[in-house]
Amino acid sequence: MLRLLVPIVLLLALVGVSVFSDNPAPRADLVFINSSDVNTLDPQRMSWMHDLRTARLLFQPLVQNDVLSDDFDIIPGVAESWEISDDARTYTFHLRHDAKWSNGEPVTAEDFRYSWRRAMLPDLVSDYVAMFMNIDGATEFYDWRLAQLDAFSDRDFANASERQQAAYDLWDETHAQFDALVGMQAPDPQTLVVRLSKPVPYFLDICAFGVFAPVYEPLVAQYERPDPQTGRLIRRPGWTQGGVLISNGPFILTRWRMKRDMRLEKNPYFWDRDNIAIDSIDIPSINDPNAGVLAYQTGAVDWIADVTAPYRGEMVAQKLEYLAEHAEQVEQLRAQGLDQFSIDRMLPPDPRAHTHAVSSFGTYFYNFNCKPFLPDGQPNPFADARVRRAFAMCIDKRAVADQVRRLGEPVASTLIPPGSIGGYTSPKGLPSISDAKTPAERDAIIAQAQQLISEAGYPQDFVVTLSFNKDAGHDLIAQTVAKSWQKYLGIQTRLDQKEIKIFRDDLKDKRYMTARAGWFGDYGDPTTFLDINYSTDGNNDRAYNNPVFDDLLDRASVELDPEKRMAMLSEAERILIEEDLPLVPIFHYATIYMFDPHKITGLSTHPRTKQNAYLIEVLGDGKGPEQPRPMHKGNGHDQSRGEPQS
Amino acid sequence: MSMLILRRLLALPIILLVVYTITLFLAWKVPGNPLENPEKRPKPEVIEQMNKQYNLDSFPRFYFSYLDSATGFEYLRDWFSGEIHRENEAAVAQGLPTPQRPVFDFGPSLKYDDKTVNEIIRDALPVSVTLGASAILIALIIGTISGIIGAVKPNSIADLSTLGVAMVGISLPSFVTGTVLLLVFSIWLGWFPVAQWGTLRSIALPAFALSLPFAAYIARLTRMGMIESLGADYIRTARAKGNPEHVVLIKHALKNAFLPVLSYLGPATAFAMTGSFVIERVFTVPGMGEHFVSAVQNKDLFLIIGTVLVFSTMLIVFNLVVDILYRWIDPRIA
Repeated sequence: MLRLLVPIVLLLALVGVSVFSDNPAPRADLVFINSSDVNTLDPQRMSWMHDLRTARLLFQPLVQNDVLSDDFDIIPGVAESWEISDDARTYTFHLRHDAKWSNGEPVTAEDFRYSWRRAMLPDLVSDYVAMFMNIDGATEFYDWRLAQLDAFSDRDFANASERQQAAYDLWDETHAQFDALVGMQAPDPQTLVVRLSKPVPYFLDICAFGVFAPVYEPLVAQYERPDPQTGRLIRRPGWTQGGVLISNGPFILTRWRMKRDMRLEKNPYFWDRDNIAIDSIDIPSINDPNAGVLAYQTGAVDWIADVTAPYRGEMVAQKLEYLAEHAEQVEQLRAQGLDQFSIDRMLPPDPRAHTHAVSSFGTYFYNFNCKPFLPDGQPNPFADARVRRAFAMCIDKRAVADQVRRLGEPVASTLIPPGSIGGYTSPKGLPSISDAKTPAERDAIIAQAQQLISEAGYPQDFVVTLSFNKDAGHDLIAQTVAKSWQKYLGIQTRLDQKEIKIFRDDLKDKRYMTARAGWFGDYGDPTTFLDINYSTDGNNDRAYNNPVFDDLLDRASVELDPEKRMAMLSEAERILIEEDLPLVPIFHYATIYMFDPHKITGLSTHPRTKQNAYLIEVLGDGKGPEQPRPMHKGNGHDQSRGEPQS
Repeated sequence: MSMLILRRLLALPIILLVVYTITLFLAWKVPGNPLENPEKRPKPEVIEQMNKQYNLDSFPRFYFSYLDSATGFEYLRDWFSGEIHRENEAAVAQGLPTPQRPVFDFGPSLKYDDKTVNEIIRDALPVSVTLGASAILIALIIGTISGIIGAVKPNSIADLSTLGVAMVGISLPSFVTGTVLLLVFSIWLGWFPVAQWGTLRSIALPAFALSLPFAAYIARLTRMGMIESLGADYIRTARAKGNPEHVVLIKHALKNAFLPVLSYLGPATAFAMTGSFVIERVFTVPGMGEHFVSAVQNKDLFLIIGTVLVFSTMLIVFNLVVDILYRWIDPRIA
């Protein structure tokens, strides 16, 4: 009989051992759900927003954005000060002496040379390699290495060891080439001199980007070596594991379990550690949007960085209801210049107040194919800017934002979200029926659009095809747009729903008439949005080609006077969205956060939507100064000199 | 018995080789290249070089190089050539932890840049094993007890209701039962945490949800076995000897009635540990099921093969364990 119990005992033992060996850590000071699982913690290989968000906790670049300032100021990071030469092409960074790696070693200028060189190698396939090409000689270096690797595969070797030796020789030669070609010098461990190929007014903003953060060479180099077969540098994963990773940021990684959780602890060697108000962070991997909200409601999570639950529209509506109940107080607080999170903190606690819609650095728009002929050889009516303008005027953007999206997102008439870039004045944009305040105004806009259509000689009974990918509610937006065109222009639209991969390929190959699109800015300059419309840009999916527009961008890229430059870029955007309309902006994205405004503070409301989670102060946990961290005024974009922080 | 074990263990690598060959062949045929990033579009030369590096440009080359590293031959070679010693010494010289190289290297994940397949399996397998084992444990307890209750008084209300519950347990898909359980016990009653893993309390609910269909099947097996043995002569003898009824039921009847349950237990355990994808999704359990499915979607070749090999090994091993137990409990089968 006892033998019957054996399977049960075996199973019990199995459960016991695995539960016991799991050794759960106590709840961290801050638990937040990132938008998705981290793909990589190798800064140079990052491109996802959630990867970069995590990277800013672990690594610190030369400079950082003050995300809590209205102007998104550049403030010192590893570099405590810097100078910019008169031709705006040479940047001299002075690194602070107390900048340390998490093993106590100093962070030096050589670390930056090593890390940026990694990013410039074609071997690494860095998604943001183009940003490094602003540095003098980087393009030459990249092309040289790529050509060498191409040649290596075709070379004949007598035996395997000769081949291996050749791979290592090529690697040594690559170092020498970098030293010879690329404008990055380290005259002493605390000084880094970077020479640009042309003036880049937003270069400091780029330097604050996570991809420009340093990695610890002695560790990383162990996991990278030339492959004797191809000569390429091959990466072995492993150095980004918990307990192995050595980083220079506010936190260190103590545990990273795939699809499960990530644990971060305060870095005892971080130079600014006294200003960090939390000691530990947990980032559980909860990919189901509904489970995330439930976990928040049971108190297991403090902040959700991107709520995507299907009912988030209702959550936002409830928040607006709550704000309406306290309308008077909200108005008063807003008049005092308080940011939206601070206002929430002043209002009476309510679970509805935990939902926050914050404007993002991104725009949803519709593309028009500008090529003279469609893929089937027919003449393309959208090659005529008048047709594009007319279609753009007759989109009911308000209906899309308020009835389809329902996230309180602002209707867009510009490509660049207004107010997101300091010093930049957005153009007005082409008036659409959503801007009309009276029915008469609306009728005038419609009449004007119909006039444009007939002037352009739009072919009779021509059916427009509207392409979109099948997920994320794009179908509903497409239906709304198609309805607008039918109603106001009397033009039929065929909806063409595609798989995302096919959709993307069709965009790149211009196999479409009109198509949905979206773009998020990478850095704080108008060019991050405008460049995608440059005639030869890889992301110019519209085949848009206006020499005047290109010329404005070209001239702006060499203009040293920031005001003149911004005016040129503003004019370029005006041409784009008032005259040529290769794309119609529909709305600016919002991101939905969930957190208790009475408990969590230190998150930014700036439209650049960049959060530095190490600034978070958990009120009432007895750690840190227990002071709210609201938004504050910026310094008015003076980026010419860095001042040591007091 | 030792012949059986030996034979099965010898067959294991051959079966795995066949599984590997078939899986790789099928996965290879899935369209799309895992290295292409549609967002950023690296240069075609770069993609070509990466394909070459991972041997994705040639089926035979991939086939044999994967075999080489997954079977441990590559590690052995590097060990004997001194390569591994050199690496470790270099790390120690710089005061860094020695790079951990697995003996059986299942390769990198093509989708998750920072992780090897070994690490992914190391993180996820214990979770799936815990979940599966707990579920089978619960299923055994619930199933056996309700089976006995049913068999004692066939067609009584107790029997019909346990049978009914068993039917529901088998027929209802686990995303329904799982979601209902989550809603009632975690959200409304707040007895169990949401989207957590590690403590017994967090394991209880998903394990219970996963156990239901197995419990139902075990209940039916036990009931049938018990009804059959309760009618047998030796039970009459046992009762005639004046044994109390519970002794007759458990010691005499259950012993025989349990044998079909035991033989079901092997595949059931393997299945509970590997086929819990839906439950893992509903309860946010960080197990293997998710990787099994998403690896195919991402065409993460190394991860597909890794998970399939682990699952096959588990299936074979559990069947072997059950066969051994079976023979040991019932020596008539030899």
